[in-house]
Amino acid sequence: MAWAVARKDVLTTLRDRRAIISNLLIPVLLLPTIMLGLPLLLGGLFQREQASLTQVAVEGQAFLPDALRSALEAERVELIAVDDALGQVRDDDVAVALQVPEGFAEEVTAGDVPRLRLLRKTGNLESELAAGKVTQAIESYRQDLVAERLRSAGVDPAVLEPLTVETRDASRPQERSSGQLSWLIPFFIAIWALAGGQMTALDATAGEKERGTLEALLVAPVRRSEVVVGKFVATLLSGLSAAFMAIVGVLVGGMLLRGVFLPRLGDEAREMAATMGGSLSIGADGIWILLGSALLTAAAVAAMLIAVAMFARSFKEAQTYVAPMTFLLILPAMALQFSDLLDLGSGIYLVPLVNVMVLMDDVLGGAVAGTDVLAAWGTMLAFVGVLLAFALRSFRREGVIFRT
Amino acid sequence: MIRAHGLRKSFAGVEAVRDVGFEVQAGTIFGLLGPNGAGKTTTLRILATLIAPDDGSAEVAGFDVLLQGEEVRRRIGVVNGGMGLYDRLTGRETLHWFGGLYGMSAAAIEARIEELDGLLDLGDTLHRRCGDFSTGMKQKIVVARAVVHDPPVLFFDEATSGLDVLARRAVLDFARAATGGERAVVWSTHVMSEAEELCDRVGVIHRGRWIGEGTVDELKQRAGGARDLEAAFFGLVRDAGALDADARGAGARDARSDAATAAGGHEGRRP
Repeated sequence: MAWAVARKDVLTTLRDRRAIISNLLIPVLLLPTIMLGLPLLLGGLFQREQASLTQVAVEGQAFLPDALRSALEAERVELIAVDDALGQVRDDDVAVALQVPEGFAEEVTAGDVPRLRLLRKTGNLESELAAGKVTQAIESYRQDLVAERLRSAGVDPAVLEPLTVETRDASRPQERSSGQLSWLIPFFIAIWALAGGQMTALDATAGEKERGTLEALLVAPVRRSEVVVGKFVATLLSGLSAAFMAIVGVLVGGMLLRGVFLPRLGDEAREMAATMGGSLSIGADGIWILLGSALLTAAAVAAMLIAVAMFARSFKEAQTYVAPMTFLLILPAMALQFSDLLDLGSGIYLVPLVNVMVLMDDVLGGAVAGTDVLAAWGTMLAFVGVLLAFALRSFRREGVIFRT
Repeated sequence: MIRAHGLRKSFAGVEAVRDVGFEVQAGTIFGLLGPNGAGKTTTLRILATLIAPDDGSAEVAGFDVLLQGEEVRRRIGVVNGGMGLYDRLTGRETLHWFGGLYGMSAAAIEARIEELDGLLDLGDTLHRRCGDFSTGMKQKIVVARAVVHDPPVLFFDEATSGLDVLARRAVLDFARAATGGERAVVWSTHVMSEAEELCDRVGVIHRGRWIGEGTVDELKQRAGGARDLEAAFFGLVRDAGALDADARGAGARDARSDAATAAGGHEGRRP
């Protein structure tokens, strides 16, 4: 009988065009767009900036040493002589500028320490990238100068490097490729479980009260527990379908990036795109844990939605009740981006909702412990049970079902 | 077929129903007559197992409403003026879905739909989505839904509220025809003419109190030979009020009753 209740709620949801668009189409279209868009935008910008000729305004160009000019031109920098370098950068005429004081070249030759001023806009990506090219050229020039001065003093320049450091990335392949955006995946799954289930849950509870159909259902020979389970299953299926489409969106986004877009980028741009989370790769086990965690997230969200929305008199009132639930899901998901700075400990796997999000983050980072999966899933199952018991209690309370 | 004894129910400290008792025989229509807020809906909700009485007992179709709720619900149909439909289901889908809840096969439901089409002239309502219905069309499917499983007991609670004259007439005629055979019907209304036209016996309820019951003629007689049921109603209520000390505090009680309605959900909101 519970399935009969669920079937009707699912059917009415499927006939709602708004639900189809928000539950199925938006997650599968939006996630790849976000996953591909930002990394590709940054990667493409970086590649273009590296390859293109960067204009740099120079105030006092006549005082620029020839060797520094050559080093700048080697970095594909075009020097433009100007009188007001600061104004040029402020007005966005150029991304970056140099102020060369009078007598700069002579002071360098004399062994003094003249000051070169680099003007850029902090926070402006184009300016930062251009400044990077200029800084690299200046550093190259500086190293040549140091070497030359040491040699003229009869010292081998190698004396400045008493040791060398080799840095190797010790992260797992999944961890390396999951990038900084990996916290967004659990976030989207949770949010779409809520967004997808919300319409069904509200329609099946407060909506039924508002329409006057709940009383007709309750005078049929259906147990209240069957009504609650039926509505929970319908809400779960809606939330799950949206979360599933979100995962499909992530996987499709990852595949497109790896197969189509990354090969077209240069090495450095590819690395940048990957760092930004553009090439998530999840193993078969990881996908199962991700799906299981998504299922439990959707189940908890569905049970919460049913329990809370039942108190509302109308669909609109129910929307105001469930709005704070968004924050309940957003806050732990947002905290995940700082998870490497937080000492979460094993206890975190016993905190409902937060635990499955951390687990999903672990999956994307390639480091999942079986005990953590058991702890998180067990806690979530108990949490869902408690919420359903609470929802059933609400469905049995006269003050709740007739609160119209 | 229906037997209620000493029913009491309070919401937030306000007695919505106190000491209500009556019996309804098979093949008859029993009118539950009273103004809005009288306790009619609360009484029917107790009989329909939607709410539990604080005290008293009731049996419907031979089953105890407190102990055998599911058996009771299997044998009742409920129509009220505030009942709605699922906007995105057609009339036929609605009847199939509800029929399924009563364990009916698809073929049995289809046969019953044909029968109800003849009785209620369902016509277009069967293949159109309920969201597109007029009020009259909606009420036809609401009635059809309530009787799709051919229950032996029917409760109508302000079932003609908000209907136009044609739709109202269709519902009244259906209720009258529904008593054929062994079916018992309870017709709850504040419209005296409906009770006078339809009901074999009428119970008068006012401020949750059972004022009395009898045939329409008996009630008129008891009210000192009132010319019609409306006059009889006022006569009976006045007599009861004269004996009731709290009638003086009626205004205050009304206000509390409204608050209780909002919290606990008995009648009083419908026009």
